[in-house]
Amino acid sequence: MTLFLFTVAFSMHAQTKSISGVVSSKEDGLIPGVSVLAKGTTNGTTTNAEGKFKIENVQPEDYLVFSAIGYATIELPVGNKTKFDVILSTDTKVLNEVVVTALGISREKKSLGFSQQEVKGESLTEARSANVANGLSGKIAGVQITSNGGPGSGSNIIIRGSSSVAGNNQPLIVIDGVPMQQSTSNQFGGGISEINPDNIKEMSVLKGPNAAALYGSRAANGVILITTKNGSGTKGIGIEYNANVTFERPFIKPDFQNTYGGGNGYRTWYSDGWSGVIGNDAADQYRAAYGSFVPGKTTGTAGTDESWGAPMDGRLTRQWWTGTDVAPLTPQPNNWNEFWDTGSSVTNSIALAGGNDLGSFRLSYAKLSQKGISSFNDYFRDNVSLNSNYNFGKFLTATFSGSYIKTSGNRNYQSGQQFIWAHRHISWDRLADWDSYTDTHIQRSVAGKLPDTDPPNWQHTYFTNPFYMNEMLPTTNDKNRILGNVALNFKLTDDLKLMLRSGTDFWGDTRINIANFERIRNGNQTPGRYSEEVLNSQETNHDFLLTYDKMLTSDFSFLAQVGGAQRLNSYKRNYTYVGELIVDGLYNLSNSNPSQNVAESRIEKSEVQSLYSSFQFGYLNALFLDITARNDWSSTLPSEDRSYFYPSVSASAVFTDLMNLQSNILTFGKVRASWAQVGNDANPYQLAQTFRSGGSWNGSAAQYYENTTIANSSLKPEITTGIEAGLDLRFFRNKLGLDITYYNQTTENQILGVEISKASGYGQRILNAGKITNKGLELTLSGTPIDLPSGFKWDISVNYARNRNEVIELAEGLETFTLQERRGLVSLAKIGEPYGTLYGIGFKRTDAGQVIYENGLPITETTPQVLGSVQPKWMGGINNTFSYKRLVINALIDARIGGSFYDEGTATGRWTGQYAETAIGREEGVIGEGVMNVGTAESPQYVSNDVIIPGNVFYGRNNPRRYHEVGIFDGTFVKLREVSIGWRVPETILSRAKIQSAKISLVGRNVLMLFSNHPHVDPEVDAYGGNSQGFTYGQLPSSRSLGFNLSLGF
Amino acid sequence: MKKTYKILLTGLIIFAGGISNSCTDGFDELNTDPNNPTSISPQYLLPFAIEKSVDRYWGGRTRFERLNIDGAMLWMQYLSRNIYSNEGDSYGITPTFYNNTWESFYDDGLVNFDRIIKQAGTDGAQPNVNYEGIALVMKVWVFSLLTDLYGPVPYSTGLKGTTKEPIYTPSYDAMEAIYAGLLSDLKIANEKLKIGGPSVSGDILYNGDILKWKKFANSLRLRLANRQATKKPTESKAIMAEILSNPATFPIFTSNADNAALKHTATLPSNNEWHQVMIQDGRTDWSLSKTFVDFMKKYDDPRLGAIGKSNGGSFEGIPNGLPDAIATTYLSSAAVLSSRFTDASAPSVIMTYSELQFILAEAALDGDISGNTTEFFQKGVKASFDYYGVNIPASFYASIGTISKAKIMEQKWVALFGQGVEAWTEYRRTGYPVMPTKDPRASFENNGILPTRLPYPTTEYSLNKAELDKAITAIGSDNMQTKLWWTE
Repeated sequence: MTLFLFTVAFSMHAQTKSISGVVSSKEDGLIPGVSVLAKGTTNGTTTNAEGKFKIENVQPEDYLVFSAIGYATIELPVGNKTKFDVILSTDTKVLNEVVVTALGISREKKSLGFSQQEVKGESLTEARSANVANGLSGKIAGVQITSNGGPGSGSNIIIRGSSSVAGNNQPLIVIDGVPMQQSTSNQFGGGISEINPDNIKEMSVLKGPNAAALYGSRAANGVILITTKNGSGTKGIGIEYNANVTFERPFIKPDFQNTYGGGNGYRTWYSDGWSGVIGNDAADQYRAAYGSFVPGKTTGTAGTDESWGAPMDGRLTRQWWTGTDVAPLTPQPNNWNEFWDTGSSVTNSIALAGGNDLGSFRLSYAKLSQKGISSFNDYFRDNVSLNSNYNFGKFLTATFSGSYIKTSGNRNYQSGQQFIWAHRHISWDRLADWDSYTDTHIQRSVAGKLPDTDPPNWQHTYFTNPFYMNEMLPTTNDKNRILGNVALNFKLTDDLKLMLRSGTDFWGDTRINIANFERIRNGNQTPGRYSEEVLNSQETNHDFLLTYDKMLTSDFSFLAQVGGAQRLNSYKRNYTYVGELIVDGLYNLSNSNPSQNVAESRIEKSEVQSLYSSFQFGYLNALFLDITARNDWSSTLPSEDRSYFYPSVSASAVFTDLMNLQSNILTFGKVRASWAQVGNDANPYQLAQTFRSGGSWNGSAAQYYENTTIANSSLKPEITTGIEAGLDLRFFRNKLGLDITYYNQTTENQILGVEISKASGYGQRILNAGKITNKGLELTLSGTPIDLPSGFKWDISVNYARNRNEVIELAEGLETFTLQERRGLVSLAKIGEPYGTLYGIGFKRTDAGQVIYENGLPITETTPQVLGSVQPKWMGGINNTFSYKRLVINALIDARIGGSFYDEGTATGRWTGQYAETAIGREEGVIGEGVMNVGTAESPQYVSNDVIIPGNVFYGRNNPRRYHEVGIFDGTFVKLREVSIGWRVPETILSRAKIQSAKISLVGRNVLMLFSNHPHVDPEVDAYGGNSQGFTYGQLPSSRSLGFNLSLGF
Repeated sequence: MKKTYKILLTGLIIFAGGISNSCTDGFDELNTDPNNPTSISPQYLLPFAIEKSVDRYWGGRTRFERLNIDGAMLWMQYLSRNIYSNEGDSYGITPTFYNNTWESFYDDGLVNFDRIIKQAGTDGAQPNVNYEGIALVMKVWVFSLLTDLYGPVPYSTGLKGTTKEPIYTPSYDAMEAIYAGLLSDLKIANEKLKIGGPSVSGDILYNGDILKWKKFANSLRLRLANRQATKKPTESKAIMAEILSNPATFPIFTSNADNAALKHTATLPSNNEWHQVMIQDGRTDWSLSKTFVDFMKKYDDPRLGAIGKSNGGSFEGIPNGLPDAIATTYLSSAAVLSSRFTDASAPSVIMTYSELQFILAEAALDGDISGNTTEFFQKGVKASFDYYGVNIPASFYASIGTISKAKIMEQKWVALFGQGVEAWTEYRRTGYPVMPTKDPRASFENNGILPTRLPYPTTEYSLNKAELDKAITAIGSDNMQTKLWWTE
């Protein structure tokens, strides 16, 4: 949110007057549509078609601000003048836009030899996502964000495709110059997901290695630089308050069938939740519904968790909630809506900022309370931050920036099978109210054993009531994080500066996962169980930077920087699983039967030391050359290869300035090119073969086993090399801008756990192997198509990115590398194919691509084949801003085109008869679409398949565990990602409440799915995160959120 | 300015303190794994390798990869599924079934047995003939499972991922060659194992009783020799003669007390895998097969009551391969496993005295050894009845009638209840017991053919294709219908 200041206006009672005038420019003559505003007020107007304006109620102390796109803004004191003849000059300031780049150096954007894109804080906070990273989606070319919708969840961020086969592909997150540790866990998030969006002044995305050579290893995947607000520029004291309330519902509702109930063989009957024998007391009821009843033989159907049951025609059946009564079997078309809650996010943030010549500070506090769409799931986040700086005379500035972040909540529900292995006749509202049915609900009672005590549910064979699980078996965490840095900036001479800085990021997280409660199921008693995991992680960075910045002559500028850094990482995990609680419900490690406990722990420590330098030469402020060099020493590599060097070179030329090409059409033109390398080390402890603890036998004989990953004592660092070239053009005095970037980057010598034949006795070996290239094109087009004198304005920015990823080589003799496996379907890095090629069992097809049937069922190929790739063809976004006086409407369209994923959930849901398509032909039989061979095997002759197959057999071929192809879906989506409608409240209303400024916005995220090829779910889904993209199985659905945002400045 | 430099100096000193350890001397120590040892005594490797191998063989907790209860026990028609018959009962299995069985036998079991052999061997760090002998016996047993399941498998060049000249793409050995190696290794193991020799700990199978290990080694050698008897008659006869003629040097099982069986305990995860699946995880998907129940009823065999639990009154089994809609209708009436098999401490059986007697009975019938077929046969039957603690009905032998190969194999099949893999292997070798015609309502995959082997893992296709292709060429084709070497 913009910072609104409270300024004491002594002139409230001064005399006011009316002023008129005309605005023109040398090049364009009279200018219409120029905004004329009395500074610090909302009193203003715009010039008419003849460039004339008139403004009332102006005071002599006021300044008038004249601004228009493409022209430099000027401020003129009113004094005793009543008529103004204003001449605006063409704006060059926009071109001199200053951006924060590597090492926190502010540079003119035009001097950069590589591509960099920014997002201002306010565009992240209105139509907000609790996780700031999600706000980047669609706004920055080449950035792909995938997230799941759970409260406090993490996001997977990939810039310009995946470059590492097995390692980290996430960008480095740097806050105010100091890296923040990231977790790729979807469930717990961590890192960028914990940042308070209201503190962000600006985010800069440095893509690829070119922009980031100076951040070292982890910047190979790009850097997201976050600059927080620090109160500087504040005159006096300012208070900001922001409130954001959003409500969430599931975004996409699957298309269910509402004809047949749960069960099998056209029967639906609850006996004891286990397909148990139906007692004679129900004989008449059963006969009334289904005709025949065989005493001691006929069973219930609740044990079958599929929907091949009776037509939901109102026949009277026993159901889980009816007890010994019967009730009409009726469709529950709304049970999807019943299952999900309306989630909510409430953020309140307040900041106090102040500044003067000696320094500035900003103290902020924000509280986020999130309630998930799944019952009892929630997330709470408290952020306290203090940024301050103080000038000790002219020569020294000390800065401090620190945050304490506390997060907690229940993140139990990540995925579920409530709509996959399910009975369509279930009302979830009724199940949520399970407690009311405890006495009527019939449980299984095994002779000679205690009767079952599970909470009422639609069945007990496989599932426990999910509402009960979310409430009583939560997965909670409690995390404390402190991060911050102190820095001293010395101004040694006018040209020479020194910065000394120390920063640390520490977090401790305690995760409690309650796995079971004491209960009797099928006559067997199981105890309460839980696990407790304590994680501590710290990264500390010390660095120094000496900067020499001088205009050598009036034409030549020179900037040199020499720096050094030490980075220390430490991590500790303690995990205890309690297999048997003594007293159920009391979660303390000592309340356990020790023989049933499992303990694990892990320590990781590593250190990297670096020296680096950077030189920049400028000529005529239009031609720039940058050279950087860095050497790292890493503790995780063997001594002979622990030191590695990597340089970069980049150049840019503002050719419009150099060659005097400026015209009314082309305002600005720049070409840029760069080449860069980034080296990367290994994870710790991969150099020596070890044995691993494997628990114990009978709680007494300790067990160890040989690590099945073969260590490598001669690892080398991996190297990413990238070239990038770009063109930045602005037309019509910056009314239209075009930025094109081409890049080609290669990561070599990748440190991989390469899978080997298991018959070698081992699963994989650590190797320097693998080479992946990413080539791509990024395009950003921005402009102002409409800018009317009436004040109506339309700004649009379009971005497009395509990345072509190819695995060039792996280890010797190795063709493929498995990234993720599920049900035998693998996501592979395969030579000659993109990273993330999906490989599995598919159906036999003719050359024309038709599925070949035999006896009415598709024939499966016996060997695995390529079924798709997780890589999208291209991604893009269109951001529109419409403004009219006090009203601003923003709409962001976000698109990902192409790419496949293995949606085991949807395919399984077809197999189990959940979806609308499975109701078709159930009783008559189904003819599969494809051909069959009526010729011989040698000379096939294909005709349309005409064999009728029973519905459940036919849809049974949607078993994605065996026929992987049925689970492959297109990942394309086009979404109306964000909409916000903002209105600045008129000052006349505010002044009475002593409020300086106020803006109210209506905001929405995931507002509309504009296009998708998936019949049932939002294709933007990812079960595993990290390098294992492209899988889903009943993941928490993405949500649509709508809400409002209020920001006040005092 | 002076003041500035003072401050600067102070700053530099503080900063230098922060990075004073800025030399990389300590890096090697920093990168030494504080979590895992680089060497370990065999006593800790042995229990892990035994437990993992036996669990994988007997049960396996993970759905879709349970070798015995999603495969062999169903195919041998001991058990049938009352739901999800497409998970093995109808002969369809998923890649994880044959991928993970392979991986676990090699990488959880064999590699650790092999490490013990190296470490406890004459040239090893901790020479100990008894660890060496025990690990060798176990290694042979696991390799025999692998080759009996898949056919040719990497043997002579397998397990060499960390040797001086490492092999990452091992070649496949013919079953004949593997059998020769295994039989020879068992002889060596028997020689190594020294009663009164160095003591061993971590022996969760025989608790350090070396005599029992020797008995197991020689009994296992008889099993393998008998298996290849029709293919390699001379060698097999010689091996059997060597063992049987010299019981002092080559002791064999003499009672059920010698049985090779892992005695599970109630303590997780040392409990029986079937207990984990059927009790702890609450899966009730298995009933007794109609084939088994009917066979037992035909002979009024009281072992049925010890193995199974009737579901009201009389025993009934479910035909194998029924579609779910039909199979579930039997849920209420079909017999299920007794607690003898589902208890936490139920044993996982590798080889029994009873099985040995049936082996000898068959060998005697075939003329491979001298001795009285009937005597061996009856000892085998008796041992099995004893095992279940029930008496042989008076008319039992009479109702069986003349002892033939079929009768021996039928009773061996009954005695092997639980040891689905061994029963399946013997069925594939001999064709006994002859399975009844399929239920008309049942539907089977694999062209209705009872699986003859497991397909090779898909990981071998992607990681070891050249060698795999040679193996496939040698056996014909990689499917579940190719007959293996010992098929008679």
